[in-house]
This record gives sequence, structure tokens and C-alpha cells, in this order.
Amino acid sequence: MPDIFDAYFAQQVINGISLGLVYALVAIGFTLIFGILNVVNFAHGEIYTVGAFAGLLLIVGAAPPLLAVVLLVMAVGAAAGVGLERLAFRPIRRFSDEASLKSRAMREATLLSSLAVSIVAREVMAHVFGGEMRIIPQAALLQDVITLGPLTLTNGNLIIFGASVVMLGGLQFMLYRTRVGLSIRAVSNNVLGARHVGIDTNRTIVATFAIGSSLGAAAGILVGLYDGNIYPYMGFAPGIKAFVAMVMGGLSSIPGAVICALLLGVSESVATDFLSSGWKDLIAYGLLVVTLIFFPQGLFGHGRERV
Amino acid sequence: MRPEFKILKGFAFAAAALACGLSAKPAAAADPLLLGYQMPLSGDRSQYGEMFRNAAEIKLKAFNAAGGVDGTPVQIVYEDSKNDPKEAIAIAQKFSDNPRILGVLGDFSSTVAMAAGEVYAKSGVAQLSQTASHPDYTKVSKWQFRNITTQAYEGPFTSKWMRESGAKTVAIIAIQNDWGISAAEEFAKAFAAQGGKVTATEYFNPGTRDFRSILTKIGRAKPDAIYLCMFYEEGASALQQAKQLNVKSAMFSTSSLYSPKLIELGGDSVNGLRMASTFVPENPAPEVQTFVSEYKAAYNDAPNMFAAQAYDAVGIMLDALKAVGPKATRAQLRDALAKTNNYPGVTGKTSFDPETREPAKELAKMEVKGGKFVVLP
Repeated sequence: MPDIFDAYFAQQVINGISLGLVYALVAIGFTLIFGILNVVNFAHGEIYTVGAFAGLLLIVGAAPPLLAVVLLVMAVGAAAGVGLERLAFRPIRRFSDEASLKSRAMREATLLSSLAVSIVAREVMAHVFGGEMRIIPQAALLQDVITLGPLTLTNGNLIIFGASVVMLGGLQFMLYRTRVGLSIRAVSNNVLGARHVGIDTNRTIVATFAIGSSLGAAAGILVGLYDGNIYPYMGFAPGIKAFVAMVMGGLSSIPGAVICALLLGVSESVATDFLSSGWKDLIAYGLLVVTLIFFPQGLFGHGRERV
Repeated sequence: MRPEFKILKGFAFAAAALACGLSAKPAAAADPLLLGYQMPLSGDRSQYGEMFRNAAEIKLKAFNAAGGVDGTPVQIVYEDSKNDPKEAIAIAQKFSDNPRILGVLGDFSSTVAMAAGEVYAKSGVAQLSQTASHPDYTKVSKWQFRNITTQAYEGPFTSKWMRESGAKTVAIIAIQNDWGISAAEEFAKAFAAQGGKVTATEYFNPGTRDFRSILTKIGRAKPDAIYLCMFYEEGASALQQAKQLNVKSAMFSTSSLYSPKLIELGGDSVNGLRMASTFVPENPAPEVQTFVSEYKAAYNDAPNMFAAQAYDAVGIMLDALKAVGPKATRAQLRDALAKTNNYPGVTGKTSFDPETREPAKELAKMEVKGGKFVVLP
């Protein structure tokens, strides 16, 4: 097939990069929270949905400029993250001796409590708002077409790209250049050690949830406006893909998760060119299996532990 | 995690069904006659279930107000199938085990309706689905009926229309489930038989909202037209993204995209979409206008085709029940349903073929023009 590498193929790569950026936006917050607690936060997808709904209510109610919407949504996301930590994580963290911290049962209990919160949150949203897609004012959509010869982009592509760069950069700055970042890294390295040197671990964990969830919520509204759909079940699919990207990236490496998210997006999109699109999830999960077999610590893991 | 939950829930349902079966007493004379209605009331298809229940309630209220079945009122028992075949089977078992349930309405998708249908076929309960349009649904047994024309009827209709409008090549985008596959296949067969060429058939997994890679792929062959076999939510996303990607092909779709929400969700990008439809709220016929105004008054929302299908399905079932009277058996109700002839519903005059139990309806041609559904002459 000599003519397969044409403009349509290039368009497919662009589609893939924008899909990958969507996964990356979700994966950043996901990975941050995993890094500190070593526990999968299953409710991250619902934080994403909450962000989208909060943003939509703002747009319908007051129609502020996009930047203001995103900042307010991040505040809502941070509040939701703090609430989530209270509800699903703190009650199970009340024993802080070494045996409890290392116990599998504790980790599994947290995993299940976050799953429970996610199911309740999703169904409550479906009950309050109805299960159907919300109507988004056409002017608010991030779907203005930008044509580059035979290729098309939208302003949403650029905004999501910009948001990913800012979030990733801001997070790296925060983690490596500020006191909060230092304490987050300390707690993520060793909770007891951090406590012994006087770090308030509870506060650090709450701060991590607030930051991670505000990023998740911002992702929700941006992607909702870019795809043109906001509905209570929207968080599930990107949540799963972000999880895959996090695992492939080595669980606690945020840049690793972002690179793997892009890899997933591009391979799904390009695979559609060769296979029926019904098979594209096979590519994502196939890549995950291959990574786990050949790179058990993930592509960008630091050899901390096996995925 | 999820399958285990479902199994547990299945057990719970089975236990509940058993308990109901044991405790059910023979109906006293004044008790209402019962019909079952299974539909998705939670999960990501719950919006359809909500519409079905809303429409059913209006029809039922009017029917009981007009005297019911010779003075005996009818009551509908609703169960949430979550659009899941496993749940649907548990519900079908529960309805079958309750001797007071005379007939059943639902389910929503063909896959789920057929799973429940296997149970009703064994227990001998007439099942009337408002929406299951897979050709195999009525082949499950003689107990299955539907109030929707199948894709075997709609596909060739739209295909002929497309050929007449000058389209020589077409690409199909269809949802990957029993209904979507049959819609795509019936259409492709007819389009090829009428001398056209299908350049691609792409299936997507339910839940997909990003159609950009599919649209880019099928765009390579530059088809004259694209045929969308999906529901209005996916349709709105696909049409918006097609506009973004500058796809120039004429857009046609299955009648399932007909909903006022399609235009609200899709905005400008929906203009020019053409489809077949049976229900149009702008239809001045008095029964249509009564339904539209009552639905609006009760739920502050305009009814779409799905609500209309459910409204008529309930009406057909109630008429059959009225024909056999308050002492009817399940078998008598089935035979009365099979005799349905020219039922004057809001989705057009409906007759069931006594042998195949397939409905016959008139289809209308519709196009979205300037943000409105317009019926073409």
C-alpha cells in the first residue's frame, strides 16, 4: 500500500496526538495521587466528570471567559478532591504503624472505597442531571476549525496541548522547586520517615489530592468542550486509558505517563487505519501487556517496585 | 470487579423473584391487571428508559381514566434492566414467575430484548418491544412482537432515496451491537443491489464519542454519502467532528437519530442530515398533537421518536388486553396482539403480520434544515 502515508495518514497522527493529550491530562493527576499513596484512585474519572459538569453550569449560568472557567473548575475539583480524601481514603489511613502501611489489605480496602465513591458519585450525577448528554452552548465549544493545507486542527487541540504543557511544567516545578513539592516527594518516598522529620503527612496528602483533582477537573471541562459531550458516564473511558498510561509509564513517573498516553493515543488512531475501529482498544491493552512482560517496571519506572 | 457485582446482583434478583413467586396470590376480582415493562432506568442508556416510562405513564393514565378493561384498571410494573442481558434474563424470570403479569413490554436494545425473549418464549408470555429492530428478534418465538419497523424495511428505503439523490458510493459508520450490525448489513445489501458501491463499513464500540479517526479513514475514498447507524448522542458527536474534519459527503442516518436533542447537541453541524422516520411531532394529526402536548405538560420536554414508540407499544398492548377482557390468559393476550390491525398510533397506522409478527408502518422522509426537522414531500 504505497499511498497509505498520505495526508489522511498525517491527519490520523494528529487525531492520535489530540486523543493522547486527552489521556495525558487525566493521567497527570492520576499518577500524582498514586505516587504518594501507592493506591489507585478509582474516583479520578468522576472528578473529571464533576469538573465537566461544574464548568458547564458556569458557562450556562455566567458565560465567563474560558480561563476563568478553567480556574473556577480547578477550585471545584480541588474541593472535590479534598472531600474524596476525607470520605474514601482518610478513614482507612487511621492506623499509621509500619505493618498497616505495608499491608495489602489496607491498600485493597482503599482501592475499593474509592471505587465505591466513584460509583455513588456517578449514579448521583446521573440521577440529578439525567443520563443523557448535556447541551453545550455552541459558542463555548472548542471546535473552531484551523485548516493547514489538507489537514485540519481545532482550537481545542491547541488549548488541550497548551494545558498539558502548562500542567506538566507547573507540576514538575512544584514538585522539585517548592516546599510543598518537597514534602509530597518525601511522603511518597516513605510516609513514616517523612513523619519522623516533622512533615504533616495528612496535610501533604490532602494537598496532593487537591492538586491532582484540580488537574483532573480541568481536564474534564476542556475535553468536554473539545469533544462536544458532557454526560455522567464520560469519565470512565479516559479513566481506564489514563490508568493504562500510568502503569505503562512506571506507576509514579508523571512524564512517563504523559509519554505513554501520547503513545496510546497515536497507536489507537493509526491502528484504525489498518484495522476495524472496534479493535482499537485491543491495541491499548496489547501495548499494556507487552510492556508488563518486557518492562515489568514500566517504561519509565525507577526500579521502585514491580508494576 | 464488575462481573462479580453483576453476578451478586443476579442472585439478589433471582432470590427476589423466588420470594415474589412464593408470595403471589391468585388475583382478586378488584385487583388491577398487571403488565410488566423492562427497560434501562440506570446506566448509560437510562435516558431511553426514562422516556419509555414517561410515555407509558401518559398512555396508561388515559386508558384507565377511560374505564380500563371493562372497568378493571391496568397497572404496569417497571423493572430496571440496565441495558444488560444478564439483568434482563433475571427480570424476565421474575415477570414469568408472577402469574398476575399477563404480558410484557420492552426491552430497549435488540441484544437485551432477545436475551429476555428466550425466557418469555419458554414461559409463554407475550413480549412487545418498542424498539428492538434486529431481524432475529421476532424469530425467537411466536411470543415476540415489536412496534418498530426493522432495518430490513428501513435500510432499503433510505438506500433507494440515496441512489435517487445521485449518490454512487457510500461509507457506513455503525455501532457495534446486534442492531448496528443488522442496520449496516441490510443497508449495504440494498445499496449494492441498487447499483451503488459501499466503500467502507466501520463499526465502533458503544460508548465511543470520538469519531475523528474513523471519519479520517473513510474520508480517503471520498464517498458521495455517509450512512450513520447509531443513536442521537453518538450522531451529534460524529456530525460535529465530520464538520471539523471538513468531510464533504452527504449525510444520511437511521431513524434512531431523530430527536430534538440532536439539533440542540449538534448545532449547525446537523443541518443537511437526512433520515427516514415514523414519528414527527409537527404532524398535525390530533392523536400526535394530544401526545405532544400531554408529554410537554407532564415532563416539560418534547417527546422524541423513542417516547412515541413506547407510547404506541403500550397503546397496542392495552388495546389487545381490552379485546380479551379482564379474565384474559397470557395465551389469549398473545393471540389478540397478533390480530393488531391499523392501530391508529402516533407513529403511523400499525398492523402486525399474523404470521411473522412484523409491523407495517409508513415511513416519512426528513431532513434537518436551518436547525429544524422538516418532513420532505
